[in-house]
Amino acid sequence: MRNILKFLHKRAEDVMVAIVAIMFTAFIIQIGSRYLFNAGTDWTHEIILISWLWLIFWGSAFFLEDKDHVKFDVLYNLGGERARRTMALMTAVAMVIGFAISVPATWDFISFKAIRGTDHFNIRLDLVFCVYMIFLAGTIIHYGLRAWRLMRGDSLSKLEREESL
Amino acid sequence: MSGPFFWCIVTLFALAGIGSPVALSMIVSSIVYLLLKGQDIGLAAEQMIQGLYDGFLLLAIPLFIVAANIMNAGTISERLLKFCLALVGRFRGGLGHVNVVANMIFAGMSGSAVADAVGLGKIIIEMMRKDNRYSPGYAAAITAAASTIGPIIPPSIPMVMYALVSDTSIGYLFLGGFVPGIMMGIALMILNAHMARKENVPLEEPVPRSELPKLTIRAFPALLMPIILLFGIYGGATTPTEAAAIAAFYALLVATFLYRAVSPRVMYGVLSESARATASVGLVIGASLIFNYIVAAENIPAKMEMMLKGLSVSPLVFLLGVNALFLVLGCLLDATTIILVIIPLFIPTVKALGIDMVHFGVTAVVNCMIGLITPPYGVLLFVINAITGIPLKTIITAIWPYIGVLIASLLIMLLVPDTVLFLPKLFGYISGGR
Repeated sequence: MRNILKFLHKRAEDVMVAIVAIMFTAFIIQIGSRYLFNAGTDWTHEIILISWLWLIFWGSAFFLEDKDHVKFDVLYNLGGERARRTMALMTAVAMVIGFAISVPATWDFISFKAIRGTDHFNIRLDLVFCVYMIFLAGTIIHYGLRAWRLMRGDSLSKLEREESL
Repeated sequence: MSGPFFWCIVTLFALAGIGSPVALSMIVSSIVYLLLKGQDIGLAAEQMIQGLYDGFLLLAIPLFIVAANIMNAGTISERLLKFCLALVGRFRGGLGHVNVVANMIFAGMSGSAVADAVGLGKIIIEMMRKDNRYSPGYAAAITAAASTIGPIIPPSIPMVMYALVSDTSIGYLFLGGFVPGIMMGIALMILNAHMARKENVPLEEPVPRSELPKLTIRAFPALLMPIILLFGIYGGATTPTEAAAIAAFYALLVATFLYRAVSPRVMYGVLSESARATASVGLVIGASLIFNYIVAAENIPAKMEMMLKGLSVSPLVFLLGVNALFLVLGCLLDATTIILVIIPLFIPTVKALGIDMVHFGVTAVVNCMIGLITPPYGVLLFVINAITGIPLKTIITAIWPYIGVLIASLLIMLLVPDTVLFLPKLFGYISGGR
């Protein structure tokens, strides 16, 4: 099980690296073509924006570990094991509920975007934006598992050790 | 304050307070707001996605992150340090001066304080600690303090974020950071000279002046970088975003072909690390976009203006008060959070009082950077602790004088707006302040 997760995490990382590489290359092509050949490129602009969006939400769904997030953890660190468990559990439950509530309306918004395409490649916008649904699903599953394991009684240090892949 | 907005803020503080990721807490609390307001919950996703998708300007952030990571991986930071050592290493407390000067030059290529501490900081602390010449606290504290200059001298990631939430010109903000960054550098060097006498640190073996040309040539491609960047932006050739891309590309070329320090394996690590940082910051930016929407929907700007008319606060008192508040918040919150979540709440008031937006922005960013080294929550302290193993307690004991001189510099910038506005005005900026 853990090996599968590790494998998937590594592949998620490959995707991230590929996206950054694509974004960076598109930028270089855009600048190069404008200043060297005096020809603007719309398509690079679009690739850059799509990769930016995917980078953020794909990364947040599969790649960011709990410690990578910007957090205010002064109170959390002051607490003992029990207080921390309670706080971690409250966080996990709030995230699951908060994000799960938003799923239907968000799906409506994104699927509605199917009627439009991007300016250059005419890719359907619901396909571009669906990465947000992936992010919602990833977050709900991550915190759902966390909540379940905390309630089951796994210790925090074990949880953190096993989550870091 | 309306009921839904009240509960939105309560949810945000409750969740963030127990250590939930700030970005996720913001998204959840905005969902609470939309629910209570009876609005379409899909709006949260819409604001985030559309805002990020339209925010081409923001792309400067991942590119500056990539550039800094390449420079660190590609020994560019190291060559720069050797050059500075030859330049100012011969004075008492020489390595302290080297530290500050290297950070000031590096600041001209990197936009992130954490990247500076990781790259330059690691190497220079090792140099200072060799043979135990500098105490661990001394070495760690001056490195942390010097890293705060990174995002003040352009380019600057925090200033891009401020430009986003305040609708201010990035070009003028960047220009506004020059003099303040140099002021901070000088302040730190004065303190360093004093500390070196007090601790009686031994003199460095001076690098012979005859070696200076050789070292300059070795560091030359790195020294050229800030010039290319600034010329690109202010010569009007490129947007700041494109300048960031050029910086990253230039660093890549220099590191790969000239210094031969970047292999595909190293490159994978650089891109992966950059992706991680980008996703983390990008999510907070996205979440702050929903918040901006809510603040606007609640008509907070007009309400602020009404309230202020009744209070008759002078702009200076307000500016000092807000900065005092930011300093306190900086002890507890991350700079990104302050710039993207707290500052937007004050921008309407700043505008209503007629305070110049560039002046306010630059001083606020300086303030947030000081916040990076104020305990208990100071990211730079943690970073240096992580890369060198010097205990947090030692760093914190030694950091206070440095925080003191940086706050003194901030105070001068606040009282004399022209320290910030002189350069932008020279380049045609018309101050919006009264």
